[in-house]
Amino acid sequence: MGSASVGLLQGTLDVIVLKTLSWGPMHGFGIARWIQQTTDDALRVEEGSLYPALYRMENRGWVRSQWRITDNHRRAKYYSLTAAGRRQLEAQRTSWSAFSLAMARIMDATRQPA
Amino acid sequence: MPDDQPHEPRWRRYLRFWRPDSAADVSDELRFHLESRAAENLAAGMSAAEARRAAVERFGNVHHVERSLASLTRERETIERRVAWRQVIRQDLRYAVRQLARSPAFTAVAVLTLALGIGANTAIFSAVYSVLLRPLPYAHADRLVDLREGTGQGDWGMNVTMGNYDVWRRRSPQFTALGAYTYAAFTLTGAGAPQRLLGLSVSADYWRALYIPPLVGRYFSAAEDQPGAPNVVVLSYALWSTAFASDRHIVGQTITLSGTPYTVVGVAPAAYALRSNAPELWVPLALTPAQRAEHTDHELTVVGLLREGVAIPDAVRELSAVEHQLAHDYPKAGIDGSIVVHSLRDSVVGAVRPLMLVLFGAVGLVLFIACGNVMNLLLARAAARRKEVAIRSALGAGRKRLVAQLLIESVLLAGLGGVVGVAVAAAGLRALIRLSPPGVPRLFDATLNGPVLLFAAVVALACGIFFGVLPALRATRLNLQQSLREGSRDSTLVVRGSLRAALVVGEVALALVLLVGAGLLVRSAIALQHVNPGFEPHGLLIAGVALPQARYPTDSVRAAGFERIIESIEAVPGVASVALVSRLPIDARGMDCAVWREGMDTNEGSGVDANARSATGNYFATMRTPLLLGRTFTSADVTGAAPVVVINQSLAHWLFGNQNPVGRRIAQCPSGTPKWMQVVGVIGDMHASGLDAPPPNEVYYPLGGLGGSGMSVVIRTALPPASLAPAVRRAVAGVDAELPLSGVATMEEVIARSMATPHFTTTLLVLLGLTGLALAAVGIYGVIAYFVSQRAHEIGVRMALGASRSGVSLMVLRQGLALAGAGVAIGLVASAAATRALAGMIYGVSARDPVTFLAVSGVLVLVAALASLVPAHRATRLDPLEALRGG
Repeated sequence: MGSASVGLLQGTLDVIVLKTLSWGPMHGFGIARWIQQTTDDALRVEEGSLYPALYRMENRGWVRSQWRITDNHRRAKYYSLTAAGRRQLEAQRTSWSAFSLAMARIMDATRQPA
Repeated sequence: MPDDQPHEPRWRRYLRFWRPDSAADVSDELRFHLESRAAENLAAGMSAAEARRAAVERFGNVHHVERSLASLTRERETIERRVAWRQVIRQDLRYAVRQLARSPAFTAVAVLTLALGIGANTAIFSAVYSVLLRPLPYAHADRLVDLREGTGQGDWGMNVTMGNYDVWRRRSPQFTALGAYTYAAFTLTGAGAPQRLLGLSVSADYWRALYIPPLVGRYFSAAEDQPGAPNVVVLSYALWSTAFASDRHIVGQTITLSGTPYTVVGVAPAAYALRSNAPELWVPLALTPAQRAEHTDHELTVVGLLREGVAIPDAVRELSAVEHQLAHDYPKAGIDGSIVVHSLRDSVVGAVRPLMLVLFGAVGLVLFIACGNVMNLLLARAAARRKEVAIRSALGAGRKRLVAQLLIESVLLAGLGGVVGVAVAAAGLRALIRLSPPGVPRLFDATLNGPVLLFAAVVALACGIFFGVLPALRATRLNLQQSLREGSRDSTLVVRGSLRAALVVGEVALALVLLVGAGLLVRSAIALQHVNPGFEPHGLLIAGVALPQARYPTDSVRAAGFERIIESIEAVPGVASVALVSRLPIDARGMDCAVWREGMDTNEGSGVDANARSATGNYFATMRTPLLLGRTFTSADVTGAAPVVVINQSLAHWLFGNQNPVGRRIAQCPSGTPKWMQVVGVIGDMHASGLDAPPPNEVYYPLGGLGGSGMSVVIRTALPPASLAPAVRRAVAGVDAELPLSGVATMEEVIARSMATPHFTTTLLVLLGLTGLALAAVGIYGVIAYFVSQRAHEIGVRMALGASRSGVSLMVLRQGLALAGAGVAIGLVASAAATRALAGMIYGVSARDPVTFLAVSGVLVLVAALASLVPAHRATRLDPLEALRGG
């Protein structure tokens, strides 16, 4: 387990998954692989924790699931965003941008407190 | 399906053909993940075993994840089920609305019938809630008890003497507070026209026991509840808002009561008024040392607030020990050393509980009849909708689903009925409150509040299910093919018909019970009207007048005052005679005390209780009560040294048998040495305690003979008595502008008021009875009309074969009468049991009065015949050819 996986905030995983699914329907392993590739394996999610997040979001109506056949002719469960999920992602994106901007300002600050 | 095989999960996959298998889905999904990861690891050059191990390591705790996914799946299934149900219900509701809208006549009749039933029930429940169920308004309502002194006769007990109350208060650690009060009347002057007010003299503990925070100011303290303390008064909300325009600055100011200044210390909230004629002000009881030594006059009502955690029996046991000692110390107090205790709520509303429950029961019967009618309508509709149900069933709707759909329809009907019913209840409650007699406490401020509306909702729902279930089950219990083939033709009429017939029989029986109850009350009211009161109430005007102690301090000044008042009223044109009496017959309470004949041992309990009244000599002539023996009072008796009394026939007979009482001597309420008084006359009996009570024993004293400053004026006139009221007021104002006349009314009004509660009950029960009768008649009409329409074919055949019109008509009529007859028979048996509840409310008629039972049965049979006549007539108009062809 990588060190970066430790401080994953509650809800952060949700945003990551929502963002991943915004490209289109994907199965759980696909999502894990996309995260791994996008973050260059820096953000090592414990892959098992993806699934409860997916199920929870399905219960909330943010994603829906469907069994399909993969390119390798295997059965896999594909997840896709619902309209509510898309709205949720938009809302999260806004607050995350604000948060990360604020964090960046603090971390890059050059003036000491007056 | 194969048997359970713990090690063989493969068969579960086949389940997916019928329904999703969520556990298999979870494991499939996770396996796919692990295998994909392992495959990637393998491609990266790991060994097979290493690849699998690395995949699992990267995944985390597989079991743990699986478990949490299982629970999330269950959660999801619950959500899905709920959503699905909501969808079904919404769909069914929309369908039900369409169905009801399609037959507006049916819907209107059903909704109105239910609205009547639910509305009447809601209105009565609102009254029941207000009177019986809601807690008393006081802070510690559940710990309040009403305490009375036991007498050994009956279990009502007596009010408490001031002396005994004083002892109780000092020796009752099991009570947080022991409050006492007695009624006192005051004349308020200086705030508009002078008015006579009902007040209470209360101990300071009264406020601690019956505590509700004051609206303005405060209540009085123990220091102010002492003789010699400055006069203070607490105003009721009603008095404060009318006489003092809700002025908060009244607190601290001085008002004049019966000529004496009192400082207002506070205003009590409206909740203190438990009746419409509640006390208007409170002054301190302030027992004097002489009063504290008084152990024979049972004057005080005592309310105890139990100490927290003390049970009533424990508290009473200790108080009984004190009372036992008192009974021993004061043998003439008429007490036996026991304590009569009731929860305060019981003593406030206990007397009207049977009345409220009878009304509640009666209105419940009306609801049952209404539900019966709606159920009948639904059964007829179910028959007509057989085809629709068959089609839906053929299209795959299960029976459960069909029943649910029909139930939703009936619950929707009931809901509509409930909504309209609440409007009916609002109107009904207004009428109830307007009719409400002063004898029923807490009814005057009943509202349609939360609990009442909840009741209406529950009743509506229960009704919807009650009258919906059977028709729904019947409508869906069918032979599919047969129904589709035969269309709407009903081939199992007999079975279905018998349920409908049973319903109508039940309705008739319930209506009979209602009407018998109403009939008994009406008979009782008629019997009361024929009671000879012992005086002539027609042509009497009465009024109360009180001479304030401050300005009329002595007996002689008061006597002169009353004399001037009599003279001034006698001068009013149209007045034939004017008399004074200390206590009116029919409605006035007053002192009752034991009477002894000279020669009886006054220390033994051998005396007989009698009303004590003082009156002017012309009182009996004014009332037109016959003087049977001897003479009445003269002016010499008022001032004379020799004490004389007039007694009534009952007392004369009790004391002297057939001997002439005139010239004999009697004594009343002897404490210490008896004061013997000579009987100078005997008058006829009056129903002085109310028309429904036997005439009490009476002793009359000459004017002033009982002390007291308040008298009732009795005016005989040949004119309509009420028309004299203004002139009489002017005449009294001419004598003393600050003397208000209170309770000006005709004697007939006084009598009517005394019968307000029975009148209230009778009116309501008659209304409910007629409603029940009308509903039952509609029910009979509906069933017979249905009968005719279903038998049109048969009737046609009969007529084609030569049956006469009157024969057909009779056949139909017979159906109606058979139903009514069965209903009456059952109803009579039920009535005989049910009318026992009325036993305490009827006068002069037995609860199983055969006349009432017979008359009501006759009425019901007659109404049933009338209700059957219309369809019977229609049957004779059938065209045989048409019927045969159409059938």
